[in-house]
Parts: sequence; structure tokens; C-alpha cells
Amino acid sequence: MTPVTIDDVTVLARMAGLSIDPAYLPTVAANLETLLGQAALLFDQPIDPLVEPAPVYRP
Amino acid sequence: MTTTTQMPVTGPAAATARAVREGRASARAIIENLLERIERLNPTLNCFTAILAERARAEADAVDAMVAAGKDPGPLAGIPFGVKDNYDVAGRITTSGSIINNRFAPASRDAVLAQRMTRAGAILVGIQNMDEYAYGFTTENAHYGATRNPLDLARSAGGSSGGSAAAVAAGLCSFSLGTDTNGSIRVPSSFCGLFGLKPTFGRLPRTGTFPFVHELDHLGPMARNAADLALVYDMAQGHDAGDAACADMPNVSTRHHLGEAISGRIAVLDGWFDDCADDQGRDAVARAARALGAAGSITLPGAAKARAAAFVLTSASGGNLHFAMLKERAGDFDPATRDRLLAGALLPANAVQQAQRQRALFLEEVMEALRHNDLLIAPATPCSAPLLGQRTIHVNGRDVPTRPNIGLMTQPLSFVGLPIVAAPIRNGRMPIAVQLIAPPWREDIALRAAAQLERMGVARGPGEMPC
Repeated sequence: MTPVTIDDVTVLARMAGLSIDPAYLPTVAANLETLLGQAALLFDQPIDPLVEPAPVYRP
Repeated sequence: MTTTTQMPVTGPAAATARAVREGRASARAIIENLLERIERLNPTLNCFTAILAERARAEADAVDAMVAAGKDPGPLAGIPFGVKDNYDVAGRITTSGSIINNRFAPASRDAVLAQRMTRAGAILVGIQNMDEYAYGFTTENAHYGATRNPLDLARSAGGSSGGSAAAVAAGLCSFSLGTDTNGSIRVPSSFCGLFGLKPTFGRLPRTGTFPFVHELDHLGPMARNAADLALVYDMAQGHDAGDAACADMPNVSTRHHLGEAISGRIAVLDGWFDDCADDQGRDAVARAARALGAAGSITLPGAAKARAAAFVLTSASGGNLHFAMLKERAGDFDPATRDRLLAGALLPANAVQQAQRQRALFLEEVMEALRHNDLLIAPATPCSAPLLGQRTIHVNGRDVPTRPNIGLMTQPLSFVGLPIVAAPIRNGRMPIAVQLIAPPWREDIALRAAAQLERMGVARGPGEMPC
């Protein structure tokens, strides 16, 4: 897992339209690294293209 | 008239309500006694963020007046309860544990579930502390302070419905209504030694509550014994069109069937759920399994991924929900909440979509397990209540950060919406709960299992307390 740097967070935040106080950047980076580590577990095996996502939606 | 000392709120709710309905006890006297107790203990425990004394007195008087007029106030007559601070209460701002929500107008009416309790004769006594926006497992709230565990004041009451659990455990109300997105009813039930129910997703309407993750949010009760839990759940059931995810299912009365023994196929969840447990949790599961006659164990190979997917989806959804305030008022969030929400707002859409597809896969896996079993058993938490401020817990040979890891065993299961009762086992200095996991819409099975464990002395709530 590649570490998430403060610079990474700054770039991502700009793209998302967020301006993050520099004081928060280290902990945001640490949290994003944890999240991406968890997300990586979801990609370690391919999922059948026919598997639908499962959000709740009631028209 | 029975004195309130003889009718403590820590006794069985049905018996207390019967005494009120029959005019042998006064709702007003119960509430006065309780308000004194709250005033005495809440400054230490910090369960309530608002005590609704005048409202409670008025509601109690209304109950007593109905009895005097020969009318029946309902099965919860005179029973005091509290709601987590993400439930609307008429005339109050629903803070959801934040100061940011103070920008909203006060609620015009109570949340639907609270209304149903009132209609059944229960008395709302207060609003209860929680992790900010329900994003936490310890109720260490930067704005409203930490809630202390009544069993050990140095320890966490759990979260995010921590104030709700601690109030019930301390005898400051008979039951509480909480919410559970990733474990927020089951975790505090485990830490405070209570019975807690997270129903099937869509069973109880969330109308009039502040959301966290729309597609994972559940409402449910916490109580001192299985009978109270079932009684409150029965009063809570029913469709409400105000919640788009609320299923229009027939009500299933549970409280009159708690005495029926569990006779189906029962299995223990091993693998992830055993790996994440400590010795006390494993012992609790073994005791419950023996008592219920579990035939063996099964593995859900996708549990680790389900937990990861729930973790990702929660953060992304929270980041989305609070995006505008993260832009405008980031400094007003609890720092522990803010930095996780900001990180969630930056997650790639690809990860979120993959989490949704993993969810579909895991649901299929769980449903296959439930085709062969009527009830599954797992620990509720990786450990009993940690100390307030404790930075790490020990899980599977490693020290890991406390806050994000308390929900390791609750998250995969709420992720697919199953009904679960947390039943407290007192096999250590502090209690720990087991999760009794039933097929969708079969809350009755999980409640019967909890009641059976209680009858056998395996699960035990706080018991009666002197006032």
C-alpha cells in the first residue's frame, strides 16, 4: 500500500472542491490511507461482471 | 397505592406498566423518583444531553388521568424511556451529537418511533449523548463530553448510542431508542451489559431521525431484559411512508412467544468472527452455543471483505452527506469525526462501487448460510469495554486503533441488514455480548433465543437496582 501524503490529499481535495485546513491534513491523510487499505481488499479478486451493486432504492 | 420504591424502573417494564394500568402505581410518582435519580447520577455518567422533566411530568399526569378515567394508557403505561440525540423531539433541535446542526429549526414533532412509544403509554424523560453524527463506537464527544460506563466509570459505554445504553444500565430509564449503522446498538449493549435489538433493515421506520448512512441506518431498542426488549419492539413495529426504505411488512408480535424454546438449526460463526474475538468473547459464544444446542460452526469467507466494504461505504456516504458543512464549517466538527468524513469525501468512486458489489456477493453468501441455519451466533465486540481514551485494543495478535476496530464483528452483519439481538454474557469483570443473528424479518427468532439464554442464566442484564 502506497502511503498517502499531505500533497496527495491537497490535490484530491482541490479536485473535489474542498479546501482543507493545513492543520487537518496529516490526520486526513492517515484516515484516507486506512480507507484505501480497506478498499484494496475489495479488489484482490475479480468480481463477475454480472454482480450488481446493492444500494437500497425504491422507486 | 404502591410506592415507587417498590416499583423501580429497573424491574420488568410489563409488570410496572400493569401496576400503573391497574392503578396500583402512579406514573407521576415513578417519574418524580426517576428524575431525582437522573439529577443525582447524570452529572457523573453524562448519559443525557437534555432532561425533559416538565414534559415527562405532563405525560405522566396524562397517563394517571387516563387510568383514573377508566381508560387504558397502553402496554408501556408509565414506563420512562430516552432517545438518542438523532431522534427528533418536538420543540428541540436534533443535534445528532454535533453543534453544526444547531443551524436547524427545532423539530415540529417527535420521531415516529418515539410517537409510538408515547401512544403506548411510555414517558419520554430525556435526550441521550452519542458520538457526533453517530460516527464512532465510544461516545467520547468533543462537544458534549464522554459518557461513562455505569459498571466502571473509567470505561467507555460504547457507541454511538452510548448515552442511551448507559442510561438504561444505570437505571435512569427503563429502555432507550438508539440507532445502529455499523453496530451502534450492539456495541454499547455489549459494553454496558444490555439486551439490544437491531432489526432487519427496513423493519422499523426512521422517520424523524437524522441520518448517517441512509442505506445502512437502523433504529432499535436497548433494554434490561429480553421481555422488555420484545415489548418495546412490538410497540415500535408498523410501516410508515415517511421512510422510503421502510418495508410494508405485517407486524409480528414477539412478546407473547418468548417462552417458546428454540428448536431450529443453530451454528456458530467462526473464521473472521473467531479471529477477531478475545478469550472472553469466545467463551461467551461457547456458553450461548451450548445453551442453545448449536450443532456446529460455519465460516463466512466474505466477512473480512464485507467489513472492509462497510467501512468504505460508511466513510464515503458520511463524507457525501456532510460535504457542504465540511466545506464551510470543518472547524466545528468533532476532530475525530471531521478527519474521517474528509477522507471519505476524497475516496475514488471506483472503491465505493466495488463496495456495493461486494455487498451483493456477501448477501448471497449469508443467505446461503441461513438456508441451512435458523440462527447464527457470534461475538458482538472484540473485547469488553475499553477505558475511555484507550488508544488501542488487542485483536488477533496485534494492537489496533480502538475507535475504528470495535465494530469489526458487527459491521459485516448490519451491512446486509440482518436482524440481530445482542445478549449480554457476564463471564468477566465487565460483560460482553453475543450476537444472535436470524434470517431477514425473523426478529422473533433472535428475541426467543435471547429470552432462552436469559431463562437459563447464561445471558443476564443489569438486574434490579435500589432507587
